[in-house]
Amino acid sequence: MIACAGPAADAPPAATGRDAAAVELRPVTVEEWRIELARLEGRIAVVDMWATWCIPCIERFPHMVELFHRYEAEGVTFVSVCLDDPGDEQAVASARRFLEGQRAVFANYLITENTADAFEKLDLLSIPAVFIYAADGELRYRLTADDPNDQFTDSDVEAAISNLLGELPLV
Amino acid sequence: MTKKLTRMFVCLVGLLILGSAVASAGQYNAVVDIGAPMPEFSDLPATDGSTLSSDDLEEDIVVLVFLANHCPWVKGMDADLVALVDELEGQSVRFVGVSVNHRDDDRLPAMKEHALANGYNFTYVFDESQALGRRLGATTTPEYFVFGKDRRLAYMGLIHNSPASKRRDGTVNYTRGEPTDFYVRDAVAALSAGDEVPVAETRSHGCSVEYQRADG
Repeated sequence: MIACAGPAADAPPAATGRDAAAVELRPVTVEEWRIELARLEGRIAVVDMWATWCIPCIERFPHMVELFHRYEAEGVTFVSVCLDDPGDEQAVASARRFLEGQRAVFANYLITENTADAFEKLDLLSIPAVFIYAADGELRYRLTADDPNDQFTDSDVEAAISNLLGELPLV
Repeated sequence: MTKKLTRMFVCLVGLLILGSAVASAGQYNAVVDIGAPMPEFSDLPATDGSTLSSDDLEEDIVVLVFLANHCPWVKGMDADLVALVDELEGQSVRFVGVSVNHRDDDRLPAMKEHALANGYNFTYVFDESQALGRRLGATTTPEYFVFGKDRRLAYMGLIHNSPASKRRDGTVNYTRGEPTDFYVRDAVAALSAGDEVPVAETRSHGCSVEYQRADG
């Protein structure tokens, strides 16, 4: 289990230099996000749905960053989609600080629609949720907490990535 | 031929028995559907120092709502819940709040503080076993489950159509503006009148319920 980073959303470790500068949080509508997602076709893509109000999301996030560093060279793309209240300036600022603190130098999006509508459009019941797409663009792993008796773990995320990498043709 | 038919009949009966024993999922619920029986529970500790069992519930209608003190979606909706309980006072309706998360700020001591600070006017219990949440497929806080006199599930989901969260500055933001559809209130009214519940299931919205995994 990843070490608890509970308060990190409010008080992240300071990020400095190139990593901090490289962290962006790009506002998009759900429709714009879908266009961005379609552009990822051709690569295995790991999409982490999160928010600063979601404590388990904050706790899991360092693992996503760790996986990004481990699998980036193998062609796996990591993306985060933030579902904080876009109208809450303090929450959005906190999300940005958190990403900087995590040195999340992959693509980070902030959904600009109201959170309840965004969940509905994204077919989410709850977060954290990790969606993993195969190189052909198909959603192959939908890891959620939607079933109390089938909660995903960090190991499930790793296993899914490993499985999809194993399916790629040898070059 | 007769043996073959008998074997097929036995298989069919077996499948029917199995099917009736396994709860079926709802549109937004992986475990139960409308009509599911209310799970029994016993001696859950409440914030007022008492304990509560399902057998203690004598009212015609029971509303179970899963809550978590730390959750901004619970904090944003607290006032609406308290107002609804007030509004239905005098009717044969019992509201029970249930907390199942194991983190310290969702456990009983913190629940007592939260209930006091927010004027909770209903029984608020802690289910450390998480069994109630698991058996009802509760995945978010707040999430409502309304049972009729027969203790069958008649409604599950949101309190109304505009989930609200408490922002960092302390203000409450209704995601869809002023609520217009009051699902729990309508379900209670329909059950009281002996009518069909107009909307039986909605997509709940809020923080994830944090279930412990058997493997730790």
